[in-house]
Amino acid sequence: MNDDLFLDSFRKLLDGLGADPWPELSASGFLDVLRPEAEGGAGLDLSGLFPLAFETGRRAAPPAIVQTLLARLVDPQAVACADAAPVLAAGGVPAETARALCGAADAAVMAGLIDSLQAMTLDHASTRRQFGREISKFQAIQHQIAVMAEEVMAARMAAETALMGAPLEVSGAATAVAKLRCGEAALVCSGVAHAVHGAIGVSAEHALHRYTGALHRLRLSHGGEAWWARRLGEWALSRRDDAATLARSL
Amino acid sequence: MLAPLVPAAIGPEDEALRAEVRAFLAERLAGVPGARRARTWMGFDADFSRDLAARGWVGLTLPVEFGGGGRSPFARFVLIEELLAAGAPVAAHWIAERQSAPLLLRYGTEAQRRDIVPRICRGEAFFCIGMSEPNSGSDLASVRTRAERTATGWRLNGSKIWTTYGHKAHYMVALVRTSGGPDDRQAGLSQLLIDLKTPGVTARPIRDLAGDEHFSEVFFEDVDLPEDALIGQEGQGWSQVNAELAFERSGPERLYSSTVLIDEWMDFIRSRGGPTESEAELAGRMLARLATLRNMSLAVTGQLARGESPVVEASMVKDLGASFEQSIPALITDHLASVEGPVPGPLLATLDYLAGMSPTFSLRGGTREILRGIIARGLGLR
Repeated sequence: MNDDLFLDSFRKLLDGLGADPWPELSASGFLDVLRPEAEGGAGLDLSGLFPLAFETGRRAAPPAIVQTLLARLVDPQAVACADAAPVLAAGGVPAETARALCGAADAAVMAGLIDSLQAMTLDHASTRRQFGREISKFQAIQHQIAVMAEEVMAARMAAETALMGAPLEVSGAATAVAKLRCGEAALVCSGVAHAVHGAIGVSAEHALHRYTGALHRLRLSHGGEAWWARRLGEWALSRRDDAATLARSL
Repeated sequence: MLAPLVPAAIGPEDEALRAEVRAFLAERLAGVPGARRARTWMGFDADFSRDLAARGWVGLTLPVEFGGGGRSPFARFVLIEELLAAGAPVAAHWIAERQSAPLLLRYGTEAQRRDIVPRICRGEAFFCIGMSEPNSGSDLASVRTRAERTATGWRLNGSKIWTTYGHKAHYMVALVRTSGGPDDRQAGLSQLLIDLKTPGVTARPIRDLAGDEHFSEVFFEDVDLPEDALIGQEGQGWSQVNAELAFERSGPERLYSSTVLIDEWMDFIRSRGGPTESEAELAGRMLARLATLRNMSLAVTGQLARGESPVVEASMVKDLGASFEQSIPALITDHLASVEGPVPGPLLATLDYLAGMSPTFSLRGGTREILRGIIARGLGLR
């Protein structure tokens, strides 16, 4: 199947999920895409996982979908897995690799969530009128949204860069960049999104809190910014290379 | 919403340039203190520029028939990131190579292209850009320096200020008014090529807060210029300048202004044995930002290589990059203030220079506020 059709059918699947999504997800075959083709999977590498995780985030669908995809690397029956790290470790994957894999996938979901925050914020700013005009016409609002747009691009770039190659060869250092950078972007973008939306953004019926809430929970999972920053810094300082050379390998 | 950046990688042929540039810089910059290297594209060294040119490293992407290297934007990315990360003094040829040569190739007369562009590539013709005036900063449409038509060309009167190396350059490309008045805003502005040896031009360097003379004030008093001093179309200066600023904003030069400081700081931490948790965390935070910015800048280079004009994306990387570069001296100051025992003098000298000059990082080449306006327009907000 070509990439666009593949992604499109995944989007349709996510959009149609019911209250208990797991039977439908299992039947779709998408939970097995990382498994080898010989075993009924699609043999995708991490660059194939990236758009699926990103779309999961963009729709604020359960991040457990992505964790289940990872868990099925070692447990073909895994379903509704909130955290693949212990499953992978039990299946013989080194704990550090398991954590990196889960953290990198979290980062891609976060990048998708952040992308949607921007879309919602742009939409709200362009329709909400105050002082006789759309609030998007105020420079103070424009500059906040410009900063948000920069963070959206940075988060996506960091996550996409970490999700490359074979799953079990995931780079701990690139994951550190991704989880750290997406965590930072999540804070900035959640702040701008809520500021622009005003009171309606904190009402239970408005969708915004589903996105900012999911981002908050993902910041808490598989190591936060400081945790990954320390590991990245220890790696960097254990080498003799200059900063530009280190950055080039990430 | 903007289309996402597409990650790009440097091909082996362009990557092969790196070792050669590194070897050259290791030799040329040996023993140069960090505080000197931290000046990078504020550091003017005509001999250094000519030596780079002798290796074919000035005008790397310009056409071979005009003396350039005919290489891809990725080859230039490799060269530029090595020069800037090492802190090479590139100011002399920087503007001529990056902005003026492409401008002349696009709008210049055949004679200008044949005469001046090859000299730029040999490191013999240095340029400055005349934009700001005493009463005209980010609001460039308000410039008052004026050129009137004469029987033989143009007569120029007025002045420019904060012009980078205006007192050392051979030529200026200036944005001036050629028709109408300040109320006409962008209409009636043109770009002029000014040979700075022309009678009536005087330049006075202005000392900056670090004690350097990197910018200047340039005065024009009845300066007679030939007909072909006009670059491109009369009255089209505004759109030409904006196209030129896009060249200025799309390179990788907005990431590396503080890397000399990061390197000296990391060496200091390494010299003290294993890092503390907070030292490792600080190194990690800086590196994560640098690596992400570099990947974004590479993606913008990929857009250039495909012939696109990534004006908005380049502004985003520049704004984010300038904020990153500015944060480094503040973060490292905070750490060094808590260190027990002596801090090496050279590290402190680099820190002092960058702490003082880093506010310029979000001024030069378009202020933070101007860039965020461009991004907002790109997002459809204005």
